[in-house]
Amino acid sequence: MLGSLQHIDLPMRKFKELEEVDYVIVGVGSAGGVLLQRLARAGFNVVGLEAGPLWDTERDWVSDEAGSHELYWEDPRVTGGTDPLALGANNCGRGVGGGSVHWAAFTPRLHPSDFEVYTRDGVGSDWPITYEEIRPYYEQLELEMPVAGPAYYPWGHPHGYPYGPHPMGGVGNALIRGCSALNIPVSIGGPVAILSGSHGDRPHCIYRGFCIQGCKVGAKASTLITHVPDALHSGAEIRDHSMVGRVSLGKDGRVNGVHYFDKDGKEHFQCAKSVILCGYAIETPRLLLNSACSGFEHGLANLSDTVGRYLMAQAGTVVLGRFDQLVRMYKAPPAHALTEEFYETDPKNDFARGFAIQTVGPLPLAFGKQMVAAKKAWGWGLRREMMDYNHWASFGLLGEILPWPENRVTLDEEKDRFGLPIAHVSFNLHENDKRLIKAATEKTVEVMHAAGAAEVVHEARYAHLVGAARMGSDPRTSVVDKFGRSHDIPNLFICDGSIMPTQGSANPGLTIQALAARTADYLISQGDRVFTSNDRNMATPPIRREFAPPETWGKGVPRLT
Amino acid sequence: MNRQLSTQFGEKFKKRSHDPDSTLLPRDPRSGEALLPRDQPGYYAGFSTLSQQSFWDAATRKVVTDRVGQNAPIRFFNSDEASFWTTVFDHLIPQTDRIPERRIPILPALDERLRLDRTSGYRFEDMPHDREAYRLGFDAINQEAQSQYHADFISLPHLQQDLVLKEIHDGEPKAAREIWKRMSVHRFWQLMMGDAIDAYYAHPWAWDEIGFGGPAYPRAYIRLERGEAEPWEVEEQRYEWIAPAHAASGEIEGTHEFHTESVQHRSHRRER
Repeated sequence: MLGSLQHIDLPMRKFKELEEVDYVIVGVGSAGGVLLQRLARAGFNVVGLEAGPLWDTERDWVSDEAGSHELYWEDPRVTGGTDPLALGANNCGRGVGGGSVHWAAFTPRLHPSDFEVYTRDGVGSDWPITYEEIRPYYEQLELEMPVAGPAYYPWGHPHGYPYGPHPMGGVGNALIRGCSALNIPVSIGGPVAILSGSHGDRPHCIYRGFCIQGCKVGAKASTLITHVPDALHSGAEIRDHSMVGRVSLGKDGRVNGVHYFDKDGKEHFQCAKSVILCGYAIETPRLLLNSACSGFEHGLANLSDTVGRYLMAQAGTVVLGRFDQLVRMYKAPPAHALTEEFYETDPKNDFARGFAIQTVGPLPLAFGKQMVAAKKAWGWGLRREMMDYNHWASFGLLGEILPWPENRVTLDEEKDRFGLPIAHVSFNLHENDKRLIKAATEKTVEVMHAAGAAEVVHEARYAHLVGAARMGSDPRTSVVDKFGRSHDIPNLFICDGSIMPTQGSANPGLTIQALAARTADYLISQGDRVFTSNDRNMATPPIRREFAPPETWGKGVPRLT
Repeated sequence: MNRQLSTQFGEKFKKRSHDPDSTLLPRDPRSGEALLPRDQPGYYAGFSTLSQQSFWDAATRKVVTDRVGQNAPIRFFNSDEASFWTTVFDHLIPQTDRIPERRIPILPALDERLRLDRTSGYRFEDMPHDREAYRLGFDAINQEAQSQYHADFISLPHLQQDLVLKEIHDGEPKAAREIWKRMSVHRFWQLMMGDAIDAYYAHPWAWDEIGFGGPAYPRAYIRLERGEAEPWEVEEQRYEWIAPAHAASGEIEGTHEFHTESVQHRSHRRER
């Protein structure tokens, strides 16, 4: 009766050592996985270099918190500023699939207002695209993952989800109870990129609760299972354990490949007609800064002095409530209900923008550290709180923190095992951020009390990372244009969370994958011109659904128009 | 000691002369009498995650069972350091309510982590590297013990050891100013507690103690609502207990007025 429920066959093309490819993709995570698949299916020669392993999920992953640390980026980094961010397991993946392997898989869309924050509220920044431009990609990726959730989702641009909502666990029931008592609408059973019914060769969720330790079941979407198999089938190559240290710039002002280290620390060079960086909000700016060269003394593609700046994390304070009744919050996915009722700017508040309230389901190691932070528990006090683990439910607020130029990634003096300077991350909250966090915490505490909790405490923390190589229309204040193309170097692209100018109060995973599919369509529409011309065509091509992995489209799931 | 009796949960037993120091044992809140060590403290008597291991996948079974009964040699710490940190962890996560054979080793996991120089993937800028933090922590805790009680930490009576650590916990150490200039007190506390939790609550005996169901692939959890138990889990059976007489960690603080991460580990957690 035991054994793998799901199996990925991986016959893989191997390019020759000195062979020039069309695209080299640095980082095969949420964005890199989608790009690799699209570009390979469109017929390009494409190689993905991934610092971590190409997982065999049945062999490599476990239903165990302590045994899952290899899913996270554990290479050294320094974190500081007035409000230092926890990194590693908190927000940084490693290995094929990247962050989509360890995300909880909440997949709300950004709201239309998120694309014009500066215009509406005079804070943050506008995006160079509107909601309507990314909307077809939201709809498409929700099918490719696919996303389970309610048939009608009322916030932002109202829409529905292709797969049915998940059954409630104890934490979701607490959120429903608390929100209902306060007349707050609540989304039940999603949106979450976890299968509520089987999909092709992928089984439905078994509610084991180890989502952020990697889904051995194959029910939770990661690009490792949603896009990488089709990428490999279509002729892409993934070289795992390959750490890119430097992007190479030719005399013609165009990039011509990347230098990388293999598993044994041996250095290689991969020639490419175009380079796409998908290393996420710390490694992408670090790589650009480490690629400084003549003409780009302050970092490649950094004439704007914007690389590394405007880094964002979301407020992710966890509010914990102790109930007299048992909850057993380890069952069901951590992500299974939320409300976005407080998402938009409210003139009655003393801050701009807003927040969401979501279910979270910490397992014992995470919960223990929360008790240390929230209650200063130690010794016998900690043992006592932990014995009541099954009486606690927890909500996470997700609050928008605005982009600030001094919140940034720079290079530290310390070097990693490859001799590359490590990243130094500096993060500082500003007045708007602090007011928002305070109000969001108080509202979430109110909901927890309304749910019937006898005791409510909270742990302040942060979630997700975006920004640090933002997109924009003005080359003086942004790193890439609206398709992810460097303003400074015409055949260098960036596509990952780092290009987001603002972040809203939505988990970024869906937006990152939607942006990747959109950039892929742009690259496909440009054909060989990306490789031969410095022209910058800014026309938006139509969505190309035929380049999606097969069997995600037109198989009977409803399409929203 | 009667092992048969000690494994009957929810009952109280009088201390006998050859039993462990009763001042270090949790007590019955009504009678004040010490509760004898159990092979499984907590409210889920009879629950055993390990008994379900044939329903787990092979990789999970290996990683969890390797953790049980592991007797890994200590290789990073020297013997003085090993005794010192073992004593410290006996306070951070005390286990006198467990019979000796069912205590969960904490030091080996930390020793292995530091030997391999494996970190959580980041270092706070007001902290040294983890290895250095533990070296500095050794000195700082001993200096605190010397300044308060004029002896090395390890030679102090149990309660005084607890009180020395509570100074660090409260973020108000009196000694070792030079060390605390190089290392944040509350980040160091967070580091030690994190390592203690990572070892103790990763152990299936700790899962049994707190009623955590553990691995459930490929079998699945099926009873998701109202805190219901799976057919192979057990119902909660609570009993009353309070911390030992000689313990400073029994009372923990309630909530504080703080909203941001940077202040929550500090002792005076009110934001300006």
